[in-house]
Amino acid sequence: MSSFPVFGVAGSGVTVYRKWLDAVSDNLSNINTVNPAGEDAFQARYVMARSVQYGEGIGGAQVAGVELGDPNGRMVYDPSHPYADAEGYIRTPDIDMASQMAQLMMAQRGYQANLAVVDRARDAYSAAINVGRNS
Amino acid sequence: MTETASVTGAALMSAVSGLSARSRAIADNIANIQTPGFQSRRVAFEDAVAKAAGSGRREVTGHSQALSLEPTRMDGNNVNLDTETLQSIDTGMRYQLALRAIDDRFGVVRAAIRTMG
Repeated sequence: MSSFPVFGVAGSGVTVYRKWLDAVSDNLSNINTVNPAGEDAFQARYVMARSVQYGEGIGGAQVAGVELGDPNGRMVYDPSHPYADAEGYIRTPDIDMASQMAQLMMAQRGYQANLAVVDRARDAYSAAINVGRNS
Repeated sequence: MTETASVTGAALMSAVSGLSARSRAIADNIANIQTPGFQSRRVAFEDAVAKAAGSGRREVTGHSQALSLEPTRMDGNNVNLDTETLQSIDTGMRYQLALRAIDDRFGVVRAAIRTMG
């Protein structure tokens, strides 16, 4: 990745945003997952990004790790539920749908922005390759 | 082909053949994106070309294949579509650049022939 470094840098961003999209979709798909009160709730996934120091590598971003949300979740009173304990409580994940939808939009925009960079860079590099030719 | 008789010509030919091997590897990786246990392949040739050109050898160098170090998914597959797509674009641009360089070298010969005529 030395002659066309933009592809490597933008590509690292694309991968980070795709993993963020994966995490948000995992959180949303489990937003109604109920566990018995005695077990941990589904823990939301939070993708942690960090920058790659320019000069150390080609620059760009990478996923530093995935942090998990609160295992305690929220206790909900639903005595008719099969998982309800003696007091009638079940454990649901502590995931806010509005926040997840906002994250979904941010991840999608970031993904598209990085791909737009790739498109612009490809046009620019094409012009550079064809410089000095009148065809 | 007499074009490979020079160090630059040999290096350019090595680059073109290495890049076409890389294109094939990327196509193979993308084709196997859902194959359980498939490990993505990477083609390397740049270091070999640089070494051959640096020591003034006028021969077309080959390429080597290695497995990608991307994280592996649960099904044993580690093809990352983002990486493969961007590698494909990058390889395409490099291929164009190498072909332009070869074409320019022939352009010099063409100009010389015209001048003689």
